[in-house]
Amino acid sequence: MTTRRLAPYGVAVGGAVAITAAIGAVTALASVSGLSALYLLLVLWLGARWGRDPAVAGSVAAFLLYDFFFVPPVGTFSVRGPAELLELVVLLAIALVTSQLAASLRRAQSTAEAIAADSRALYELATAMLRTQEVAPALALVSESAERLACVERFAVVVGSTQLAGAELSADELKQAAWAFENGKTIGVAIKGGTVAPMKTHGPDAGSAYVPLASGVVVLRLRNGDADPADLRMLAALIGLADLLLDRRRAATEAERARGFEASDRLKAAILSSLSHELKSPIASLRAGLTALVAPGAGLQADQRELLTDMDRQATRLDRMVGELLALSRLEAGVALDREPHSFADLVGGSLRQMSAELKGHDVSLHIPDDLPDVEVDEAQVARVMTNLLENAVEWSSPNGGIEVGAAARDGELEAWVENEGPPIPPTDLDRVFETFYTRRAKGTGLGLAIVKRVVDAHGGRVRAENRRRGPRFTFTLPLAPVPAGK
Amino acid sequence: MSGRVLVVDDEIEMQRALRAGLKYHDFDVRAVGSGEEAVREASVWRPDVILLDLGLPGMDGFATLKSLRPATRAAVIVVSVMPGEKDKVRALDAGADDYVVKPFGTDELVARIRAVLRRQADLREGEPVIRCGDLEIDLARRHVSVDGGAVHLTPTEYELLRYLGLHAGKPVTHTTLLRQVWGEYAVGDRYNTRYVVAQIRKKLGDDPANPRFILNEPGVGYRLSCPG
Repeated sequence: MTTRRLAPYGVAVGGAVAITAAIGAVTALASVSGLSALYLLLVLWLGARWGRDPAVAGSVAAFLLYDFFFVPPVGTFSVRGPAELLELVVLLAIALVTSQLAASLRRAQSTAEAIAADSRALYELATAMLRTQEVAPALALVSESAERLACVERFAVVVGSTQLAGAELSADELKQAAWAFENGKTIGVAIKGGTVAPMKTHGPDAGSAYVPLASGVVVLRLRNGDADPADLRMLAALIGLADLLLDRRRAATEAERARGFEASDRLKAAILSSLSHELKSPIASLRAGLTALVAPGAGLQADQRELLTDMDRQATRLDRMVGELLALSRLEAGVALDREPHSFADLVGGSLRQMSAELKGHDVSLHIPDDLPDVEVDEAQVARVMTNLLENAVEWSSPNGGIEVGAAARDGELEAWVENEGPPIPPTDLDRVFETFYTRRAKGTGLGLAIVKRVVDAHGGRVRAENRRRGPRFTFTLPLAPVPAGK
Repeated sequence: MSGRVLVVDDEIEMQRALRAGLKYHDFDVRAVGSGEEAVREASVWRPDVILLDLGLPGMDGFATLKSLRPATRAAVIVVSVMPGEKDKVRALDAGADDYVVKPFGTDELVARIRAVLRRQADLREGEPVIRCGDLEIDLARRHVSVDGGAVHLTPTEYELLRYLGLHAGKPVTHTTLLRQVWGEYAVGDRYNTRYVVAQIRKKLGDDPANPRFILNEPGVGYRLSCPG
């Protein structure tokens, strides 16, 4: 370092001595005036080659040597008269001006070269990154490029407590990196205006700097001493690249996690479906056996038959709960809807028939216009909506209380409702009744209305509960079917 | 004895419960646990009704149904835990007469068995007039009346009602109706059946949301329901 730095001065003095010797040799042969201009050439060259300081050193050396050897009285450094002083000043001025000019030219050139090198390096890195789909190797490339910079000793990338690139960090450094990330604090350096500015830090681990990014941390160790500004700019660009790569990695991780959730949803649905199947078979045997014994032919007493009927009712309830769980699991698994045009009145008819035993004693009034346009829905699912709402209406209506089912085409949609005579729903519960597992009664499953909402949502409709004069009303919307041409 | 019923179910408990339950309702019952046994028993014992569980081990319900059809004229009621609509349609199109969803009560099952037995008897008698409650379809005169009042149907409407009437009590799939009434080319266009059924209902004075005669079988088709 030192020898390299002193070398220009050596050349300056040596050059001045050599020119002095050359002038001496020439003047010994013939009297040639203006030979001192040769010094100018040296100073010019020094200024252009090494800048101001060697050029000044060269001009001072040249002046002293010229004064000593050629200016009378020869052999002394005495300066007589303004002419000689002027000569020194001119020499110095030329040294300063040329070195300044040369230096600025050189600076401009080296900046251009540095920019070109930066762009080339970044371009190569970017293409390499594009070629690899994996983020880790790309981050390793960034880290390697950074470590090739003179001022960078180490460039590591950390996400959470996992190091993705660079030389292995100590536990303390990982901890510090985590702290920097959590608090969003940059330690040891500042990044401003597209460059990295090292900051003076104190303490035993003054060497490591931490730059928190959107989803990770860059841990840097910079070499002591002044760094090349171009290198620092490059470093800032590399940190930016690392940031982009970590973003890409996060997006990829999130997509993967989403796929994982999806797979686990499917698995959950499959398990629930098989579980429901396994649960239904014993219930089937149970019901078949219990109801067999109720027949008069079985020869049981009336009270025994009553007991069996009670048990069968419980088995039926269990069956319904399992069915609802399965329906919900299917909806959650996102099973595709089988949408076709259907007559809503037909759907209602099917559900009323299915519920005929439960509806016995209730006065069911229907308000479905004859000219109601078809709905485009999954028939089985919408039948479930109707059945669940009717079940709910029976459950909450007063004994023999009326139940009203209605529908109307409104704003390009079908609006349908089920209303029952009975106590109102507390206002705070009006929204909650559709929540999964939320139930207003001890024996409820909390699934019936949740299924209603899911099915209606899946069809792009809306569902709401409100209290009317007679009792609670559940209203939902369904899409209408396009009218077939010519029919 | 009011009829022979063959139970095909791989669960011993189910076999035992159905054997007991149906016996109390005066049916003659046999139970087997596989499709192969069912086919053999159907040709040897000649049951009137076969209760066929679709979820059999080995030869499954659909395969059994296929091999049963040439071997027996017995009515087949398909039994299944939560069948999808597609399974119901597939079973009906493969020749099943009805389906019952597990779990079921004995009374419900007995009602279904009696219905298919009654239908079989009607078909054997070859009555020229189908009576379904207050609805009368006179096949010879192509005349339909409700409560004694004549109902004027278009040829298509009559064909559809006649087909439902010939299979009264049995769910008839959309596909079958389309094929029988319109022909093969119409299969797939359910709008036809829905439109014609709506017209017939209107003429019969039937409320679609609370029908007396033509019932909607969700996802499957229609069934002409006759009281008694």
